Amino acid sequence: MSLTTEALAAMVRDDSVHKRVYTDPEIFALEMERIYGQAWIYVGHESQVKKTGDYHTTRIGDQDVIMVRAADGKVHVVYNRCPHKGAKVVPDGDGCTGKFFRCPYHAWTFKLDGSHLSLPLKNGLEGTCYDPANPDFSMKAVARVDSYRGFVFASQSAEGPDLKTFLGGVASSIDNLCERSPVGEVEVAGGTFRVMQKSNWKVFYENLHDTMHARVTHESSFVAAREEAKEIGEMPFELLIMDGNGEPYEFWEKLELRAYHNGHGYMEAIFDPAAATRDPVSREHFAVLTEAYGEEKARQIMGMNRHNTIIYGSGSPHTVFQQFRVIRPISVDRTMIEIQTFRLKGAPDAVFDRALTYANLINSPSSNVMPDDVEVYKRCQEGNQTRGGDWVSLHRYLGTDKETPDGMVSTNGTSELPMRNQFAAWKQYMLNPAKTPTQADNKEADRAAA
Amino acid sequence: MQLLDRSFDVSTTPVAGATLSLEAIRGVEQFLFREARLLDERKFAEWLALWTEDGRYWVPRFHDQANPFEQISLFWEDKMLREVRVRRVENARNWSQQPLTRSAHLVGNITIEGLDAAGHLIVRSTLQLTEWRIDQRQLAGSVFHKLAATEDGGWKIVLKRVNLVNCDDVFANLEVFI
Ligand code: FES
Ligand SMILES: [Fe+2]
Repeated sequence: MSLTTEALAAMVRDDSVHKRVYTDPEIFALEMERIYGQAWIYVGHESQVKKTGDYHTTRIGDQDVIMVRAADGKVHVVYNRCPHKGAKVVPDGDGCTGKFFRCPYHAWTFKLDGSHLSLPLKNGLEGTCYDPANPDFSMKAVARVDSYRGFVFASQSAEGPDLKTFLGGVASSIDNLCERSPVGEVEVAGGTFRVMQKSNWKVFYENLHDTMHARVTHESSFVAAREEAKEIGEMPFELLIMDGNGEPYEFWEKLELRAYHNGHGYMEAIFDPAAATRDPVSREHFAVLTEAYGEEKARQIMGMNRHNTIIYGSGSPHTVFQQFRVIRPISVDRTMIEIQTFRLKGAPDAVFDRALTYANLINSPSSNVMPDDVEVYKRCQEGNQTRGGDWVSLHRYLGTDKETPDGMVSTNGTSELPMRNQFAAWKQYMLNPAKTPTQADNKEADRAAA
Repeated sequence: MQLLDRSFDVSTTPVAGATLSLEAIRGVEQFLFREARLLDERKFAEWLALWTEDGRYWVPRFHDQANPFEQISLFWEDKMLREVRVRRVENARNWSQQPLTRSAHLVGNITIEGLDAAGHLIVRSTLQLTEWRIDQRQLAGSVFHKLAATEDGGWKIVLKRVNLVNCDDVFANLEVFI
């Protein structure tokens, strides 16, 4: 195989990356093993599986998995495969399987942690190695499952850092999202959009903190919003959220880009003490948070003015408008985005209304903003298949980023630090062959889950 | 915010019957055909003029979705947002509209359903839509129009609700009106 460790290492330079990382199906297959086979990946939120037997299907890299709630309240993540002939045990989507899983093919049944329950006409297996305790007769659990404030992550590798360590400084974005609820809890609500992009998954991650593209790529939508505002004589919320991309370069330069280990990071505007009282919805929200946390903390929570956060491999939570764009790689040139919206428990209804409006206007397939992003991603995908050059530039503000105790911070908000940071993580994963979980690991995981 | 006005009647179940002359029914049919044709010809300014001031364009995300207030929608647009969409797709730097989206709407099975509480005419039709922009795709579904009679004997759209057969599916971008 051409993909030796040396070859992979040579694809990532300090200031650029080889275009093959976006276009080579072999590299994609290796990413599924070495990144998605090792990292903690967001599966879903506990609120998506409220009662015993509720399940939600999704993908960890190229693997179909089921997140399911067991009778003891625990959330399990198992591969969607029956150990008999391999049929997917539940159809894609959300549902409730009751007290156990039952395969539609030959009625083998499994407990909600995937372990074997029973099968019809057991006498036919007499004299074989059939044993309910033998993992070969169970649905396989993903090696590790953990949740952070209701956000369920799973790792296909039995080894590696725990979830909290993996998230590092970026956990503070999940904290801020939850603290925007007066009781510190959120739930997925209002439905999920799924949007297909014709580009490699990494392009989207890079774009999330690409501040230099906003006023160029999004000219059609911010100009449309501004023209409309001029015509009607006001700039309501619906237009304001499209207008932001048109900020001048000086605005973007002042933002701060945070980079953490494992490719994570967030983009932060300067703390905005006025955020709490800017408009009626925020004022109402602020009053509720003040009652719960005291005025100072409430002002701090609402002033934490984060734009996109990146949890590399999982996607991008948006704390201010309570969204999570979950990024699912489909193939080397196809990426599916699942867009979740959250209700802040105990917060005024108007806050959820605003989150839904934001989802409808910015993140839905009919968004006026996103198609221009999707178009330029596709152009990168196609341009990178020409012989017109091999390297993709990551030069902007190279060498100026400052180290912090837990990562790096930009000195200029247009730095390509986030991309360099993502590729540093990419390289680390890709040079580290994934250990296929062994049966021993599985037993370990079963014990831990029990 | 107009979009959050829950008093807007999105129901498409008639509360009273409607008796229309054959000629009036032909008028309604022609109105629907013309509306679809304006979209196919990208005559968006004329299309925008078909609506009442307060009219809403709705494409639910879910089958039998009760309203656009508790759940997300594929489209939920008032006059302002319809205008913004038109301004965007007509902007010279509309990268994602190069080439433009082209469409052919086939409108059929038109039935007069009755009247809503405010006396608007509820009309149901079936839509087959071929859309092309680099890739070709097929969209299909049932469409409910609520129409207000105008003084000159014509119609204006109060509500257009498009129930796509695949509303809860994965989508590539939906850039122009369905
Ligand atoms: S494939 Fe599942 S029981 Fe046979
Ligand atoms: Fe963008």
